[in-house]
Amino acid sequence: MTNIQNILTYFNQLPILLQIVWIGVLGLFVSILFFLFYLYYLRNYLRAEEVISKNLFTEYEASLINYLYSGDGISKITSEQQEIIDKMKTCIQDKFKRTIFISVLSKLKNDISGEMATAINTLYLKTGLIKYSLNNLESKKWDKIALGIKELTQFEVVNVYNEISKYKNHDKQEVRNQVQLYYVSLFHFNGLEFLDNLKSPISEWNQIQLLEILQKFDDQEITDISPWLKSENDSVVLFALKLAKIYNQFQVIEILLNLLNHKNKQIRVCVIEILGYFQVKEVKQILKINFGNRSEEEKVAFFKIFEDIVDEEDEAFIIENTSNPNFKIRFLAFKLLKKLNIEAINLLKVNASGINNEQIFKFLEII
Amino acid sequence: MDSSTVRIILFIIHSLFFIYAFSVIVSYIVLAIISAVESNEYMKKNSFVNYNEILSSTVSPSISIIAPAYNESLNIIENVRSLLSSHYVNYDVIIVNDGSKDNSLDLLINAYDLVKVNYLINEQIPTKPLRAGVFKSNNPAFEKLIVVDKENGGKADALNFGLNISSSQYCACIDVDCLLLEDSLQKMIKPFLEVTDVKVIASGGVIRIANACTIKEGKLLDVNLPNKWIEIAQILEYLRSFLLGRMAWSRLNGLLVISGAFGMFEKKSAIEVGGYDTNTVGEDMEIIVRMRRHMEEKKVKYKVAYIPDPLCWTEAPDNYKILISQRNRWTRGTIETLRKHRKIGFNPKYNLLGMLSFPYWFFYERLAPIIEVIGMIYFLILVALKSVRWDFAFAFFLLAYLFSVVFTIVAIFSEEFTFHQYKKKGTGFKLILVTLLEPFILHPVILYAAIKGNYDYYFNKKKKWGEMVRKGMSKS
Repeated sequence: MTNIQNILTYFNQLPILLQIVWIGVLGLFVSILFFLFYLYYLRNYLRAEEVISKNLFTEYEASLINYLYSGDGISKITSEQQEIIDKMKTCIQDKFKRTIFISVLSKLKNDISGEMATAINTLYLKTGLIKYSLNNLESKKWDKIALGIKELTQFEVVNVYNEISKYKNHDKQEVRNQVQLYYVSLFHFNGLEFLDNLKSPISEWNQIQLLEILQKFDDQEITDISPWLKSENDSVVLFALKLAKIYNQFQVIEILLNLLNHKNKQIRVCVIEILGYFQVKEVKQILKINFGNRSEEEKVAFFKIFEDIVDEEDEAFIIENTSNPNFKIRFLAFKLLKKLNIEAINLLKVNASGINNEQIFKFLEII
Repeated sequence: MDSSTVRIILFIIHSLFFIYAFSVIVSYIVLAIISAVESNEYMKKNSFVNYNEILSSTVSPSISIIAPAYNESLNIIENVRSLLSSHYVNYDVIIVNDGSKDNSLDLLINAYDLVKVNYLINEQIPTKPLRAGVFKSNNPAFEKLIVVDKENGGKADALNFGLNISSSQYCACIDVDCLLLEDSLQKMIKPFLEVTDVKVIASGGVIRIANACTIKEGKLLDVNLPNKWIEIAQILEYLRSFLLGRMAWSRLNGLLVISGAFGMFEKKSAIEVGGYDTNTVGEDMEIIVRMRRHMEEKKVKYKVAYIPDPLCWTEAPDNYKILISQRNRWTRGTIETLRKHRKIGFNPKYNLLGMLSFPYWFFYERLAPIIEVIGMIYFLILVALKSVRWDFAFAFFLLAYLFSVVFTIVAIFSEEFTFHQYKKKGTGFKLILVTLLEPFILHPVILYAAIKGNYDYYFNKKKKWGEMVRKGMSKS
């Protein structure tokens, strides 16, 4: 007691700055003690949680496999299956167990298809998990909403279209992405209708995901992409261009030719590549007219597709570009010239135009 | 000078030291808070991501992994195998053998059935010429591999050669001795594809220390904590730097450095600024500062992204000699970069880069070791003059020490709440023990290396990279 009083007396007589420093020291010391105990607890908790998660995962997986194989083949629920459903209904009351159970369902859903996948969807409904997903949709937190939509997508709940559509223009990109994935995963090409009046950009990442989902379906009958190619939203146009290429949409060639003069350079480059892929010869005339005014990317893209649509009347244009300052264009021009008229290359070698093309000539001799 | 003038001068000196130390502490606290917010957001966002669809997509963008190699014969076969094991589909691996004097090239030729091929190289960035040429594999299993053998020009020159030869849209520049996890590329490419409102010019990954980890055939099987204190202390240092510092700067879009061990660039942007600077030993920081400067001058909205996942594992120095050499180089690299781009500092034309990132690096990275040493010398002078107020000195020392311990513990918490890599029982105790000792066992060495780096920069211009002796990570 006397010691504490002595310390307090000593402390009170200290200058104010030193008092603050000692308070800081004491605060940090107490924090360290607290952190050490908490760290000890946290690490033990995380380790234990991991073990429990693994065990529960194995247990639920076994139950679910049992559930899947104890069906009678006709869409009725057997007594054994009902028993498993009841057991799971109790388990999912607990948030931790529910999360693990959903992860098991998701894993199995990814591994299987056909009737068994449908059985998993049924289980999702029968256990009442859908209730939690729908509750998440009502949350104020964006991550809960996105999680709810993700689960409803995974377990193919089609009748919540309207509830999910409320979030198609959500502020958070992640929520919008999940809505778009829901549309396409469940309604296939019809789900792409959201593109009709989409105001926000679709990220390249989500475009790739949507395309991958679409390519998994048996029904590859694509809807008319023309309106999307004319969209005000550049990301919609870019996405439609990818669709045009993957699904060989030759019927939109006229629109594609118009897009060669689109204000967005990325779209113009993409259009050139697709028209080249479709081997549309008209592209030559359009691009040659104002070739000099086009961006380097467009010029390179044009020369890359030229090989498949080149003919003798293009020789003068190609020769002109053998002195283009861009190395790639120069190389492609010489390569095309070699295909058209090898003598012309020899002539150009002699009348070299100040640009060192030695490396290109050597390479062309070998290939 | 009369005694009152001396007192005023001393008061000013003390106040300057106090303000500096106080501002460092405040900045660390602010960065820790920002990093907590960012980590939380990142973990939430990442929980919805399905990387599998990007992997198999035919429209996913192409990536070249560029790995310069100089005298890496000890590990090169394993390291290349690790690079070839990525789950991403649309990628290739360009190994640039930068004039190695050992048998790296022969080993690669034999191990991967390489044959010389004709390759037209568009030399957009000037580099040292080819030596033996460009090689590709006859074996379809290694079709993604390209090996370039060129004359020695240093790491930056080798990376530039890789940029020239790559035909991909994006380039991941890495150290060949690094071990990449199989899902590294899709995680690193994500910001480039995901962000729609600004242009992402680069993304940086976290570097983790692989010493003592179990690695087999280029794959990380088990994460272990090394036994040496110097290695554990570096683990703590990396946790602080990557999980607190860079995470916060990423939130502010103020990252000035992406580790040379693993960073991804949009190739066009990297070439547009002229590639890596071959005249600096801090080429990784320099190219980021230059790219940012370029974007600011062009008035294009941009972002340097950061991925905190533990994707890249590397061998850290396990002895003081190599550690000092490495940190000496980092210091010189920082000085060179900040000096080269000094125009940016406090220049409102460069927005956040000029008014926050650059000044922060100058005051708290560049000047910190110098101010610390000046402080020590000043303290010793006061001791000699018997003018030290020991009650103040002791209290302040204790405060600084405890703050450094708390800050490191916060970094450990950040790791536990996010990636929880050091799971094994007992590792927590070791980490805490070294946290308490680190200010005495690592910090003085780092300080010495930084001062030596300053000395070498001004008085030993010939000094370049220094040596990093590899022991090899293939332990199981």
